[in-house]
Amino acid sequence: MLAFAGALAQAVAHATSVRVIVAGIGAVGLVFLALVLLRGIDELLPWAVVCLVVAYTVSLVVHGASVDERAPLVATCLLLGTELASWSLEERSAVTAEPPVRRARIVALALLAGGGLATSALVIAVAAAPTARGLVWTVAGAAAAVLAVGLAVRAAHRDA
Amino acid sequence: MTRHVSPRLAAYAGLAALLLFAGLAAGRVELVALAAPFALAAFVGAAVARDPQIEVELRIDRERVLENEQVGATVGVSSANGAARADVLLLLPDELTAVRPNPLGVRLAPGETRSLELPLRCDRWGAFSVGPVLVRARDPLGFHSWEARAGGVAGLRVYPSVETLHALLPPYETQVFVGNQVSRAKGEGIEFADVRPWTHGDRPRRINWRASARRGELWVNDQHPERNTDVVLFIDTFAEVRRGGRSTLDMAVRAATSLAHRYLGRKDRVGLVSFGGFLTWLVPASGTLQLYKIVDSLLQMDVVLSFAVKGVDVLPPRTLPPKALVIALTPLLDPRSAAALLDLRARGFDLVVVEVSPVPFVDPGKSELDALSYRLWRLSRESLRARYERAGVPVVEWLDGVPLDVPLEEVAAFRRYARPARA
Repeated sequence: MLAFAGALAQAVAHATSVRVIVAGIGAVGLVFLALVLLRGIDELLPWAVVCLVVAYTVSLVVHGASVDERAPLVATCLLLGTELASWSLEERSAVTAEPPVRRARIVALALLAGGGLATSALVIAVAAAPTARGLVWTVAGAAAAVLAVGLAVRAAHRDA
Repeated sequence: MTRHVSPRLAAYAGLAALLLFAGLAAGRVELVALAAPFALAAFVGAAVARDPQIEVELRIDRERVLENEQVGATVGVSSANGAARADVLLLLPDELTAVRPNPLGVRLAPGETRSLELPLRCDRWGAFSVGPVLVRARDPLGFHSWEARAGGVAGLRVYPSVETLHALLPPYETQVFVGNQVSRAKGEGIEFADVRPWTHGDRPRRINWRASARRGELWVNDQHPERNTDVVLFIDTFAEVRRGGRSTLDMAVRAATSLAHRYLGRKDRVGLVSFGGFLTWLVPASGTLQLYKIVDSLLQMDVVLSFAVKGVDVLPPRTLPPKALVIALTPLLDPRSAAALLDLRARGFDLVVVEVSPVPFVDPGKSELDALSYRLWRLSRESLRARYERAGVPVVEWLDGVPLDVPLEEVAAFRRYARPARA
């Protein structure tokens, strides 16, 4: 909840003119997250993330062309919040886990959050570099997007 | 093992793709930066997925245990590739309770074998199957899970606890074999019975010299011989009344176990008849083996719905030997068993009816109609009891929570004053 609230605060702070709209969309996301955590309605978790992403995107659009250097923090907060909420839902089962199991999950989450922050920061750093322009980068970005879609489809297919 | 992929993995990849396309379209690097951690999580989730190849072994300390005792179950779990988390659930019947947490989440290193000790408390008698074991292994972030049912099934027999009985019902007549029961007949034994005039064939050691001197002729002592008895435990399994974990059949089985244990302990022959939807019987015999046979048979006993009209004539003659004491444990709910018991009495068997009372298991209800129905039902039971008493059969009501000694003592008191008439 704190991670999501932090991401929302960053989005609201970034949006100067449409602060109310951004706060409203983000608040809906927080309400969804609260329902997920309090009532265990796990179907709402993706919508909570989407609301916060939309709120941040709106704040970016209205802010202008300058690059927001705090985007990696927002991204990490969103990922961490989602992972913690999922973990919270998993822990509601009747399974009693030994302490090493929890410690391993905490370490894995910390590594993922650290890796995500580093990757995101690297993206911002590369974008700030003067060479990070042109067709090659666009193609690389498109390829990454296609790869991500492929991964999503494959994962969804396995799940089914 | 069945593999499952968390919907999070697809959602992360989808969100990352959406943000990447949006970033490319809008020319905003922040959206790409926003996509990066989710894309990384999706890649890591896909990369770390490896079948843990879990193997499970289930062992139980003992195959036979007494009610309310504990038995140790050991679940050995091993994984060739290791598992960040393996949730192990040992499937148990309702009558067995795990003393330690079940299911339990453990971490398995590659090649490591964990032995999970799980003491089980046996709350109720019966023949049970312990297992199999359900295992769900997960990767470190829970993106993938593998589920399997393994370990096989272990059989466990929980014997009913035996109630301490201070006195047993002596039958009217004993059998011809040597036992611990003092016979009413006269012959050679230990207990003094009477004196009588000497006849040819009497051994000199039996001469009562004092009585002979007083009467001027030889008189000899008679003794009561020690004989064994035949006891048939007749359990009515046509119907039962259940509330919570207790039932009339449950009480009857406990009583039958206690009686069999005590009668066999004094060298009597004990048989068993389960009279209900399923008809089962054990011919009277003595010894520890017979005790095990009876208890094993009692463990399988259950109430089976049946509309077939059955009488005692369907029983093999050897199950009901002459002069046997028949102790019927019945809730007196089904007219077929009530008629069969009266038939047994009419055939001259020494019959005792212990009525395992269903009354404590029945809620009288709150409405006036319920209360009236309840009273009528109890009156009909009283009427049935009176029919047995008219036939010379002692009927005692045994309530839940009352020691079995109490109804047995009531029967003994009844039999002291009322004896069956002989034609």
